[in-house]
Amino acid sequence: MKIALLLVSLFLPISALADLVLIAHIHAPVDRISRDEAINIYMGRLRRFPSGESVQPVDGPAKAQFYRLLVNKELADINAYWARLVFSGRTSPPRSFEQNQAVLDYVSANPDAIGYVERTELNAKVKVILDMEH
Amino acid sequence: MHRCLRPNVNHSENYREALGNALVIALVLSALISQAAAADDSLPGLKLHAFGTGALNYVASGNADFVRDLSQPDGARGGQWTGKIDSLVGGQVNIQLSEHFEIVGQAVSRHRFDDSFTPELTWAFLKYSPLTNLDIRGGRIGTDFYMRSDSRLVGYSNLTIRPSVDYYGGLPHQYIDGMDGAMTFELGEGLLRSKVFAGISPEKFPLENSEPWNISGSRVFGGSLDYQWRSWQFRFGYAEIHHERDLPGSFAQLMTVLSTVPGTASQAALNALRVGETASQHYSMGVIYDEGPLQVQLMVSGVTSDSAFFQDAVCGYFLTGYRIGEFTPFAGLSWSKSTPDTLQSTRVPALDAAIVNTIGRTETNQHTFTLGVRWDFHPGMDLKLQWDAIQGDTNSLYNYRWEQADWDGRMQVLNMAFDFAF
Repeated sequence: MKIALLLVSLFLPISALADLVLIAHIHAPVDRISRDEAINIYMGRLRRFPSGESVQPVDGPAKAQFYRLLVNKELADINAYWARLVFSGRTSPPRSFEQNQAVLDYVSANPDAIGYVERTELNAKVKVILDMEH
Repeated sequence: MHRCLRPNVNHSENYREALGNALVIALVLSALISQAAAADDSLPGLKLHAFGTGALNYVASGNADFVRDLSQPDGARGGQWTGKIDSLVGGQVNIQLSEHFEIVGQAVSRHRFDDSFTPELTWAFLKYSPLTNLDIRGGRIGTDFYMRSDSRLVGYSNLTIRPSVDYYGGLPHQYIDGMDGAMTFELGEGLLRSKVFAGISPEKFPLENSEPWNISGSRVFGGSLDYQWRSWQFRFGYAEIHHERDLPGSFAQLMTVLSTVPGTASQAALNALRVGETASQHYSMGVIYDEGPLQVQLMVSGVTSDSAFFQDAVCGYFLTGYRIGEFTPFAGLSWSKSTPDTLQSTRVPALDAAIVNTIGRTETNQHTFTLGVRWDFHPGMDLKLQWDAIQGDTNSLYNYRWEQADWDGRMQVLNMAFDFAF
């Protein structure tokens, strides 16, 4: 399996295989969450940490790769999914930022926020709560 | 007999103008929404959204009017083009008042019961979220009888151009004025979402050679259980409608005649047919598998009614699609089958025939093959091509309008559509 992924990676741009991590505020009430819990939060099914506190997910510039890793879906599928939830008044999609730095700034300033950035961009005000494995 | 039950609508040719206006509104709205979205940061609690569909349908064969659902008074028949079956535009505003309160309003312009595109308020509610897993909404809310029925109008969120007519076509109810509450629980490795709703319908539905059937005041309530586990979603639902009043037009005339004919059989028929102060029950279940490029949907519902006028029916559909790059080809099979009640003879042949014909108006016995492709050519936009082939019998009337004398229950429809959602 790893060999297959390696072969595939040879034909993809480097940016498409960035080492993404899901991050939370350094004082967030959890240290790790599971992939299923991340799916529930990002897909608007149940927006709370496993410990029960409310959580606000945000999207970043690596949105396409993140959702491919999280739910194996293309952005067009994600957009269609959110259209259904938004126009039935159920919930809103994550707030979106165009720069990784903006994601870091937002998560650093909000203990209830989570976001995703490349591992190389981490700072001391956030912690990794899930490795987005390829 | 079916002809005397036709909708009493003014068949103006102005619908093209109305459709054109709707599409112009859609484009203007899109531009405004884009600008508003760009300025969103200045008003973080305010969000504007829009969605719409511009569609063109060609009914290749079939001598009855093909309609999207029973909220439409007419559509197009064999050899005719139309854009009014699926074209619509909607705008929505979300105002986040605080962490726990949100206001949502949505208006939609679509081909509706009075043959116009007059915008309707489809959603207008205050949402209160006292807990992270509890939402309570009060105001005007979309009907959630069947899985995904509260987002039927949002073409961009669906694989096909329109939700299955066999499955959703007999469900013209779009919204109620009332309340709903939804609570989500962790159960096993998945999530269980339970929902209840109750309210009063404010809607009208087109009828045959009469004013629309005003169902306002009819009480509606129900609930559903959704279980989401990884790529699977299961749902069981129940909804009940307590009809406030009888239908007008030929139905009312028949009831008047029955009330004047002496005899227990005619009185029994009168009581059996009466719709006012009776209830209809909708049972439904659905399964969705959505993993990577593959999505599969299977839904089945049963409808029963206290009134003999509405035939009990079983409907369902199976739909699957597989994404290949920007394209998602899809294929589906849907069906609807009803069972008529047989009433005791009134011993007046003409009256018996009228009763049979009236009950026959709600008969359905057909299945539909659907093939198509969705092209996601731009974020928030898609183009779709779709072919529907309906195979039914001559008595399959419920999901159509304006059946001709030679209606044979078979129809082919070619469709193309542009959807957007921002």
